Amino acid sequence: MSAARALDAVRAALERDLAPGALVTDRAELGTYECDGLAHLATVPALVVLARDAGEVRQAVAACASQGVPFVARGAGTGLSGGAVPVADGVLVVTAKMRRILEVDVDNERCVVEPGVANLDITRACATDGYYYAPDPSSQQVCSIGGNVAENSGGAHCLKHGFTTNHVTGLDLVTPDGEIVGLGGKALDSPGYDLVGAIVGSEGTLGVVTSVTVRLSRSPEAVYTLLAGFPDTDTAGAAVTAIVGAGLVPSAIEMMDELAIVAAEAAVDCHYPDGAGAVLIVELDGPRADVEAGVAAVERCCVQAGALELRHARDDAERAQLWRGRKSAFAAVGRISPDYIVQDGVVPRTALPEVLRAIGSLSAAAGIRVANVFHAGDGNLHPLVLFDARVDGQLDGAEKLSHAILDLCLEHGGSITGEHGVGLDKRGSMGAMFTPEDLDTMQMLRCAFDPHGICNPGKVFPTPRLCGEQPGRRGAAHPLVSAGLAELY
Amino acid sequence: MDAGVGVDALRDDLAALSARLGVREGRPADAVDGIVPCLVVSPTSTADVAAAVARAAASGSAVVARGAGTKLDWGRPPERVDLLVDLSAMDRVLEHAVGDFVVRVEAGATLDRLGTLLAAAGQRLPVEQVVPGSTVGGVVATGLSGPSRHLDGAVRDVLIGLTVVRADGVVARSGSKVVKNVAGYDLAKLFAGSYGTLGIVTEATFRLRPLARARQVVTCDLSGEGVLAVALSALRANQIAASAVEIDRVGASEPIRLAVLLEGDEEPLEARVAATVAALGHATGLAAIRSAPTVPTWWAQVPGPVTTKLSCAPADVPDLVRDLATWAARHDRPLVVRGAAADGVLFAGCPATTEPSAVGALLEVGRARCATTGGGAVLLRAPVATKAGLDTWGPVRGLDLMRRVKQSFDPGRILAPGRFVGGI
Amino acid sequence: MAQKITSRAARAAAGGAGVGSSRRGSPAGGRPLDELVQDCVHCGFCLPSCPTYVLTGEEADSPRGRIHLVGQVLAGTPIAGSPQLHLDRCLSCMACMTACPSGVRYDEIVELARRRVEDHGVRSPGDRLRRSAIFALFPHPRRLRAARAVLVLADRSGLRRLLRRLLRHPAVARHVPATVRTLDALAPALTPVESLPALLPGAEPRRGRVGLLTGCVQSVLFSGVNVATARVLAAEGFDVVVPADQGCCGALSGHAGRHREAAEMARRTIDCFSAAQVDTVVVNAAGCGSAMKEYARLLRDDPGYAHLAAELAARTRDLSEFLVASGTRAPRGRLDVTVAYHDACHLAHAQGIRGAPRTLLAEIPGLELREIAEPDLCCGSAGVYNLLEVETARELGLRKAAHVAATGADVLVAANPGCLMQIRASAGPQALAMTYSHIAEVLDASLRAAGHEHTA
Repeated sequence: MSAARALDAVRAALERDLAPGALVTDRAELGTYECDGLAHLATVPALVVLARDAGEVRQAVAACASQGVPFVARGAGTGLSGGAVPVADGVLVVTAKMRRILEVDVDNERCVVEPGVANLDITRACATDGYYYAPDPSSQQVCSIGGNVAENSGGAHCLKHGFTTNHVTGLDLVTPDGEIVGLGGKALDSPGYDLVGAIVGSEGTLGVVTSVTVRLSRSPEAVYTLLAGFPDTDTAGAAVTAIVGAGLVPSAIEMMDELAIVAAEAAVDCHYPDGAGAVLIVELDGPRADVEAGVAAVERCCVQAGALELRHARDDAERAQLWRGRKSAFAAVGRISPDYIVQDGVVPRTALPEVLRAIGSLSAAAGIRVANVFHAGDGNLHPLVLFDARVDGQLDGAEKLSHAILDLCLEHGGSITGEHGVGLDKRGSMGAMFTPEDLDTMQMLRCAFDPHGICNPGKVFPTPRLCGEQPGRRGAAHPLVSAGLAELY
Repeated sequence: MDAGVGVDALRDDLAALSARLGVREGRPADAVDGIVPCLVVSPTSTADVAAAVARAAASGSAVVARGAGTKLDWGRPPERVDLLVDLSAMDRVLEHAVGDFVVRVEAGATLDRLGTLLAAAGQRLPVEQVVPGSTVGGVVATGLSGPSRHLDGAVRDVLIGLTVVRADGVVARSGSKVVKNVAGYDLAKLFAGSYGTLGIVTEATFRLRPLARARQVVTCDLSGEGVLAVALSALRANQIAASAVEIDRVGASEPIRLAVLLEGDEEPLEARVAATVAALGHATGLAAIRSAPTVPTWWAQVPGPVTTKLSCAPADVPDLVRDLATWAARHDRPLVVRGAAADGVLFAGCPATTEPSAVGALLEVGRARCATTGGGAVLLRAPVATKAGLDTWGPVRGLDLMRRVKQSFDPGRILAPGRFVGGI
Repeated sequence: MAQKITSRAARAAAGGAGVGSSRRGSPAGGRPLDELVQDCVHCGFCLPSCPTYVLTGEEADSPRGRIHLVGQVLAGTPIAGSPQLHLDRCLSCMACMTACPSGVRYDEIVELARRRVEDHGVRSPGDRLRRSAIFALFPHPRRLRAARAVLVLADRSGLRRLLRRLLRHPAVARHVPATVRTLDALAPALTPVESLPALLPGAEPRRGRVGLLTGCVQSVLFSGVNVATARVLAAEGFDVVVPADQGCCGALSGHAGRHREAAEMARRTIDCFSAAQVDTVVVNAAGCGSAMKEYARLLRDDPGYAHLAAELAARTRDLSEFLVASGTRAPRGRLDVTVAYHDACHLAHAQGIRGAPRTLLAEIPGLELREIAEPDLCCGSAGVYNLLEVETARELGLRKAAHVAATGADVLVAANPGCLMQIRASAGPQALAMTYSHIAEVLDASLRAAGHEHTA
C-alpha cells in the first residue's frame, strides 16, 4: 500500500475514533509542529494527534501500526536534538494536553503524572508537603516529564541528585503495536528486566509513554548558594578540583567563561564580579549543619585557588539573583551574536582545563567565538558557538567547529551528549562514539519493541537494523521446540 | 544438546582456541543450582569470553557465567549448562580515574578487593557486599544492592558503562566512562538484574562516592509494626539525609531493630545524630535510642538459607513486616526479615528445612502486599526440590515485552535458559 | 523549598521584571517583520506563560506557534484561515515577553501581523459588524457617554431588568450573540458621573505639573477613579491638568491592528498633551499607559509626529510608578482591609511594573496585602478581547475569579478598569462578597482617612 493511501486510512480511522478537535489537518497548524527546540531541523507532519488521554494515544498508535505508518511522539517540543522532528508521511502524537497530575502520594514519596505535565509542575504539586522533584533541566518550567523520560534529562543538580532514570520507578507505555503495558510501579526492584530503565533515555523510539511514576525527594533542610569570580577558567577549574577532592558533594557546580558572562550581563544585568574571566556557582544542600560546614570548605577551596570575589546568597531572592545569569546563558548569547549553536558534550571532569584550552585554540583558528557554560562538577560542556549566518562561510565554520568540539570530547574519553540526546542532530556522530557492534546491540532492544520500525524512525541510530532473524546465526532447531515443549515468538 | 558428540566437539573447539582458556570437564563442585556443567572454561580477557561464547553459540550450547559462585543457586535452575564460563581470573581493576570518581573493573573482581583498592584513594563503590565473596559481575547480574541504596541508589543507578559478550559471541559496549551520558540506549539498566540471560558482563564502569569521613549509627528496638511506621514517618519528616535506614527482625514477636546510618563530617554529624535521636524519641516515645560509630552485627547481610526478596511501596513496609510476622507465627518458623525499610526492599530468610508449602505461602503473602504496586516477592534461593514446585518469580509486569527482548538478544536461547522470569 | 508566593513578592519588591526585561532593539522599533520573526529561537519558554496555551495545549495557540504562523504567512501562506484565527485569539497580554529569554519583540510581531489581518484577512459579515460596532463605540468617549445615558434610562425604567430576564430565557439566549450577553454582564452598576476640573492645584510645596489621561471606559463608567487619581496626585504636591479636548489614546485600536485609526488617535492625544505643557502625563489605566509608551513605535513612519511621539512617550508614566519614583509624602490614614492585588497584564508585562503598586499598598497602615495564585495569567479582559473571543475570555475570567475568591480578601485592587469589570463579571454571585477598586481609589481613601482633603 502506498504511503499516501496508508495515511488516508489512518486519517479516516482517527477522524472516526478520536474526539472532535483531536486531529489536526490544517496545513498551517501542522506547520507549527515541524520542529522542536532545535529550529533548523524541521519536517511538517502529515497529521497531528492532540491526544487527551492514554486511550487516544493508543488509538493513534494502533491506527498507525495497522497501516505501517510511522509516528513520532512530542511533549512540549523543547528538546535540543531534534528528537521530536516529525516524519513527513507520518503522524505526530502530541501529549501536551495530557497535563494532569494523577496522584501525589507523599507517604510513598511518589507522584503519578501524565506525560505532558511540566517538570516544574511536579515540584509545585508537592512543595507544600515538603517535597520536590529533583531533576531540574533549565527548561523545567516548560519541558514535559514525558520528554524528560525520553531524553533521561539531567539539569544543574544532577551532580548530586541524579538524572531522570534515577527518579522514575514506573511507567505506562503504548508499544509500537498499539498495546498499553504497565511497567514497574511505586515499588522499586520490580521482578524481571528493568524495562523502565531501558525506556528512560530511549528517545521515544520504544513506544509512547502515557503515565510516569516518579520518586519525590524530601526538600533539604538547608540550601546555600555561593558565587565566586576567578581570573580565568583554569583557576576556577582548580577550585572545582579542590572542592571535589575535599570529598564534598555539592548539589551543583556551574561555570561560565568570560564571553558567557558578557552575554549574561547584556541580557539580565546579573552584575557578576567585575573583571572575572570565569564565574563558579556552587550550591550545597542537605542538613543545615552539613551545609554550613560545606560552605566554609568551599570558600576555602575557592580562596586558595585564587578567587577574586565571593558572594553568598542569604535568601531565595538572592539565590535567584546568583542563578539568573547562568539560567539565561543560552538565550543570552543571542544578544551578543545574531546566531549561535548550543553544543552538548561531556569530558571527564579532570580533562576540563585541557579541553577548554583546546576549544579556545579551535575557536581562534576558525575565527569563530565560543562562549562556554558548563556543569563543572561532571564535565558536561555547553559550548555556545557564536556566528552570523549572513556572513559567508560562518554557518559552515560554526557547524564544523561545533562538530570538532564533539570529536574533542570523544578523544578525551567523554560522550557526544550529556543531556540533550542524540535525536536527529547527532545520529551521524554515534559511529564515532560506538562501534557498529555496539550500535547493533542497542538496536536489538529496539527490534524487540518496534520490529517494523515505525516508532520515531530515523532517530538516534545512523542506520536502522533489520529486525528479525539474522541470517546464518541460527543453528539447528532448538530441541525444546522440536520436542513441542516451547514456542518461538 | 546431545551430550556425547556435541560436548566433545565443543571441548576440542575451545581447546584449539587457546590453552589459556583452560577448558576442562565440569565437576560436581561446579554445579549451577544442581546442574553440573559439561565443560568449564576460565578466560582471562573479554576476547577470550567472546571466543568461547561464539563457539558455544555455533553448537547451540547453553552458557552460564560464574564469578565466585556465591549466587549460582539464585533464581531458577537453568534447563541445562553445557558451558560454564568462570570469570574469577578476570579480576583486574582496569582504570581508576580518581579525580573523576569513576572506576572500570573486570567482572570477576570481588567487591571486597575493589573496596580496599578504592578506599586507599578515599573513595568507595556505594554498593555493599551483602553476600560474602560477591563479584562485580554477580552483583550486576543479580541487581543486588545493599543499605547504601537509600542515599546513593541501587546497583543500576551507579552503573554507567558495561562491556558485554552477546549470545552470538560479539563484544559490545554501552554507556561510557563519564557519569553524564545519554548517547544511545542505557543497556546497563537492562543488563543489571538480568541473571546472565541477555549477555555476559565482562567489564563494568561505576560512579563512585567519597569515603565517609565519619559515621554514626542510631539504633533502637521497636516493639511492633505500628511503632515502625511512626519511626519511618518521623525519619522522612526530619530531613536528616540518612545514608541508610535498615531493619532487622527475627521471628514473629521479637522487637524490630531499626538502624539509621548517618555519614558526613564529624562536627555536623553530632548535630544530625542528636536530631535523629530526638526525632525518633519524640515520635515513638522511646527512651532507649542509642548511637554508635559501628554498624550492627546483622548489617548488610542477606538472610537465608532460603532467601526471598520482597519489594513493596515504601509506605507498605510496616504492613509487609506484619504480614511476614503473621506467616512466621502461623508456620512457627524463625523468619529473619532484614533490609532497606525506607525504600521498601527487604530480604526474608528461613531455614532450609522449611516445607515447600510454607515457602509457597510466604510467597503468596508477600505478593499480596507487593505485587499491586509493581514490586514482588521472589524466591531467590531454596533447595532445588522446594523451588521445583513453586512459582519462584511470581507475577511480572510486561512479561511479554521481556520475552521479546530475550528473543532479540538471544534467539537461540543459550544464555542461562530457564533461570529467569517467565521461563526466560 | 520556598513557596512560590514568597519569591514572587521578593521579585516584585525588587521592582525588577522577569528575565526578558531588557528587550531587543530600540523602543521605537523599526525592524521589519521577517527580522523580528527570526529573533525567535523556538525555545518554547513562552508556552507556560501564555493563557491560550495554558487553556488548550495547542502549539498554534502559543506565542512560539503564532510567530511560526506569521513566518509562514511571510513565506506565502494566506493569512486568512488558521493564522488569522490564532492571531485573533492572542490576548496581547505580553506575558510571553516577560518569559522570553531572547528578548523577542512579540508585541511588535503581533501588532504588525494584526495590521495584515486587517488588510488581508477574511471575516464573516457578522464578525465584521461586531468589530465595527465595538470600535465605533469604545474608543469614543462621547459616544460612550451617550450609550451610558441609554443604559441609565434602561436601568431606571426597569427595561434593563426585563431585558436581562429575557436574555436568560434559553429560547432567546440562543439567538443573542455572546458578545451582547457579555457586554451586559460586564457593564458595572452605574454611579453618577463625577466631574473633574481642568486644573486641580497641588498641595504645597508644589513638586510639579502633570497631565491626566482620563481614558474612555474609565471616564464614562468609572469617573470616580479619575477623580480619586487627581486628588491623590494633588495631595502629593502635583498640579493636575485635565485637558478637556483629550480623546481616546488609541490603545484598543492599536492592539487590534487598526493602525490608521490608532495613529489618528495618537496624534490627537499628542497634540492635546503637548499643548498642556506638563512635565509628565500620568495614566491610570494599564492598557492606555502601555499604548502611550509605545507612541514612538506607532508613529515612527510619520515624519511630522515621530519626534513628538517619542518625546511624549518618554514623559508618560503609570500612576503607581510615578508616585513611587517621586516618593510619597502625604500622610496615609488607616484602612483595615485585606486586599488582593491583581497585576494587569499591560502594567506587569507590557510596562514591567509590579513592585510600585505593592509598595504603595504597603504604605497604607492596616492594609493586608494578599497575592493571587497564577498572578501572571491574564484575566481575559485584554481590551475588548472579552467581547470578541467570548469563550476563551470566559474560561480565563472564571479561573482568575476563582483564584481571587480563594484569597478571601475584602477588596480586589487593580490598575485597569477592564480587569476589574472582567473579574467581577466572572465571579458571578460571589462578586457581591467583594469590593472592586482601582488602586487610585484605595490611595484616595487612605489619604482622606488621614484627614487630608483636597476640595475639587
